[in-house]
Amino acid sequence: MKAIDIALKDIWHSVRNAMFLVFGLGLPLATGALFYFAFGGLAGGDEGFSIAPAQVQVVNLDEGQMGFSAGELLATVLQDAIPELVQARQVSDPAAARTAVDRQQAAVAVIIPQGFTAAIMDLEGRAAVEIYQDPTLTLSPSIVRGIVSRIVDGFAATKIAAATASSQLAAHDTVVDASGLQQIALQYAAWSTALSEGQQSGAGPFFEIQAPPAQEQQGNEGVTGILALIMAGMMVFYVFFTGAASAQSILLEEETGTLPRLFTTPTPQSTILGGKFISTFLLLSVQVVTLIVVSALIFGVNWGEPLPVALVIFALVIVASSFGIFVTSFLRDTRQGGIVYGGVMTVMGMIGMITVFTGTVPTASSAMNTVSLTVPQGWAVRAWRLLIEGGGLGDVLVPVAVMLAAGIVFFAIGVLKFRKRYA
Amino acid sequence: MRILDIALKDLRQLVFDWRTALFLLLMPIGFTLLFSLVFGGVGGEEDPRLPVGFLDRDGDSVLSTHLLALLDASESIRPEVLDDVDLEDAATRVADQELAAVVIVPAGYSEQLLSPAGGDQAPKPAVIADLDSNAGQAAQSGLQAAFARLLGAIEAANLTSQAYEAQGGTADQAFWNESFASATQAWDDPPLTITASESGAQAGEGEETRSAADDYAHSSAGIMVQFAMAGLIGAAEIVVVERKTGTMRRLLTTSVARFEIILGHFLAMLAMILAQLTVLILFGQLLLGVDYLREPLGALLMLLTTAFWAASLGLLIGIFARTEEQIVIFSIGLMLVLSGLGGAWMPLEFTSETFQTVGHLMPTAWAIDGFENIVVRGLGLDSVLLPAAVVLGFAVVFFAVAVWRFRFE
Repeated sequence: MKAIDIALKDIWHSVRNAMFLVFGLGLPLATGALFYFAFGGLAGGDEGFSIAPAQVQVVNLDEGQMGFSAGELLATVLQDAIPELVQARQVSDPAAARTAVDRQQAAVAVIIPQGFTAAIMDLEGRAAVEIYQDPTLTLSPSIVRGIVSRIVDGFAATKIAAATASSQLAAHDTVVDASGLQQIALQYAAWSTALSEGQQSGAGPFFEIQAPPAQEQQGNEGVTGILALIMAGMMVFYVFFTGAASAQSILLEEETGTLPRLFTTPTPQSTILGGKFISTFLLLSVQVVTLIVVSALIFGVNWGEPLPVALVIFALVIVASSFGIFVTSFLRDTRQGGIVYGGVMTVMGMIGMITVFTGTVPTASSAMNTVSLTVPQGWAVRAWRLLIEGGGLGDVLVPVAVMLAAGIVFFAIGVLKFRKRYA
Repeated sequence: MRILDIALKDLRQLVFDWRTALFLLLMPIGFTLLFSLVFGGVGGEEDPRLPVGFLDRDGDSVLSTHLLALLDASESIRPEVLDDVDLEDAATRVADQELAAVVIVPAGYSEQLLSPAGGDQAPKPAVIADLDSNAGQAAQSGLQAAFARLLGAIEAANLTSQAYEAQGGTADQAFWNESFASATQAWDDPPLTITASESGAQAGEGEETRSAADDYAHSSAGIMVQFAMAGLIGAAEIVVVERKTGTMRRLLTTSVARFEIILGHFLAMLAMILAQLTVLILFGQLLLGVDYLREPLGALLMLLTTAFWAASLGLLIGIFARTEEQIVIFSIGLMLVLSGLGGAWMPLEFTSETFQTVGHLMPTAWAIDGFENIVVRGLGLDSVLLPAAVVLGFAVVFFAVAVWRFRFE
């Protein structure tokens, strides 16, 4: 019971400590709220991932031909595109449009060249639409490029159809005149329009989409999905901080002299140290459960079925508290602890959170996910990610096993070091 | 001179503390490399297009062969032919994010689609993709473009055959195949294209040149700004320890003026941050190919204003914090919040409009903008004037608050 008394004393001290309240609870929730806000969760709820619409400046230099202007068509499509994604406005000067991009007043400038329609009408004609973009951006330019590509592709395909007919017939000593080619182009355009309408109505898809296996389970979607991943990453990041900080109480008591005094009492050393370890374990359990409950209530995160969640919580607490004990056992005093915890925990935490970054940013490399598994935080994030995406007990067994095994090793080394220190 | 004495004393303490090297240099260098790998790919991938698995169950038919060629010519996706891989394994590779999607061409696709009446009866190819992910959506878009080209080539071949027959020719299967091949091969060099260009650089037609230096450029500026704050822990700790040990009280009883004490500490922090940023800029310039020095005056302006701002923040933390613990809370907490809001971790373009507006209320966003104007956007000195002014404004405010607070010391 003395071990429990010591544990409760330490817990009481910790929960009244600013470090635990800020790092243990405040910062993880604040960071989660920050990203919830970042992705438009406050405005969009669970329905959508909200990003700022791309500001686009369109310059149409095309004169058109025979009452038709492909450039005007393209400019209109951009202006009528989904306003939540693209906000386009026409300007007359290409240099001014490029300057607007340079000054970050626009994400993209689309410059339709002179003679665009003429190039489409002429069998040998060639033209290029320029997309001038802010090099720091990837998402907005890719959205605009997708829209422009579809239109340009459509015109190119019509030209290719006419050119194919012309070259093939010529190769077989047959000449098709201009009106014949025009007829082919019109037939192709009509077919292309019908195909496009079929696509949009869903009646004639090119292919059938199936979700990969894990997606068939109920997981978090939309903004909640992104937020759940970030909350998991933040929780793991800060739980390891708390584990280390909590274990630091051993050093603090050593420096203030209360630990050596405790060792002079009949209470065995193992009981005293055991109490410290129990307090770390219980404190982290309180922290993790609080974060899970609060994030579920406020942000609507679905963490998964109770049993696998409980198992992952248990494994996370074990590995985080053991790691805290392990790191603390190597330190001489609390002064070393401050920066080492900040340095070691920050580095390892960010490595462990690589899968959080790759999951939320489109251009991120998923190959780096493997690097995250070199630290215990990475396995913890993996376990939570599997649950967030709808995985069950069987899916988390491997990461849980790795965390428990790592926890045992860290704990064993930490205990041995402390025994040697206080022998 | 007393200001210099105090500053030199602080610097001596910092230089002999190994933690300074850890936070000031090792960690930012490490994280610059890490984030550039995360956001830019591993080991300088030569083909940055999204990998899409290609499972041909149609036995190298006319359509599947040309579909593969069209996918190969795609600007956004690159096909990975999956031989001897079953459907479940392919789906797992998508679930594990090794592939953005898998397209399965069913048996009989070519025969059915090309038969006179079988267009609508042809089995549809299946695509396994996670449409909740950006990679899945991009893969879907790329596949739709490729399929549109494939079906367009079929229609072009059909129209060509009809035109030939209308002229009295006999459009046999060989003629059709030639026409189809001609139509698909035309996409290797389409008559209408998109040219991508960026400020400070010019990409080729339909290509986006992205070197390893570009990947590092994005992360270098953000991590540099973030760790300018992290390095303040050591410097702010000196002020706190001075207070706790009573040295500050003793100093204040001497003829050393308050402003000399505060300026001395500030100067030490400024020198430390300046040294840090200089080393990181040189590291980026010489080892990562990030061209900070293409606009040396602009880089210098951003360097100075960022250092002023970071040093002012460090002074503020040192003045307000009462314990080493509080320093860690303030420093790391501020570092994480300002970095997150300012776009150091994740480009602000992926956030909502409101968040971007709020983010630009932070000095970090402006500091990152200023550096990125030089190294990523390739702009000149005038592009950094506004960001530098904003960052300097924050520096003045923080410094003023620190000085005001120190009056009550």
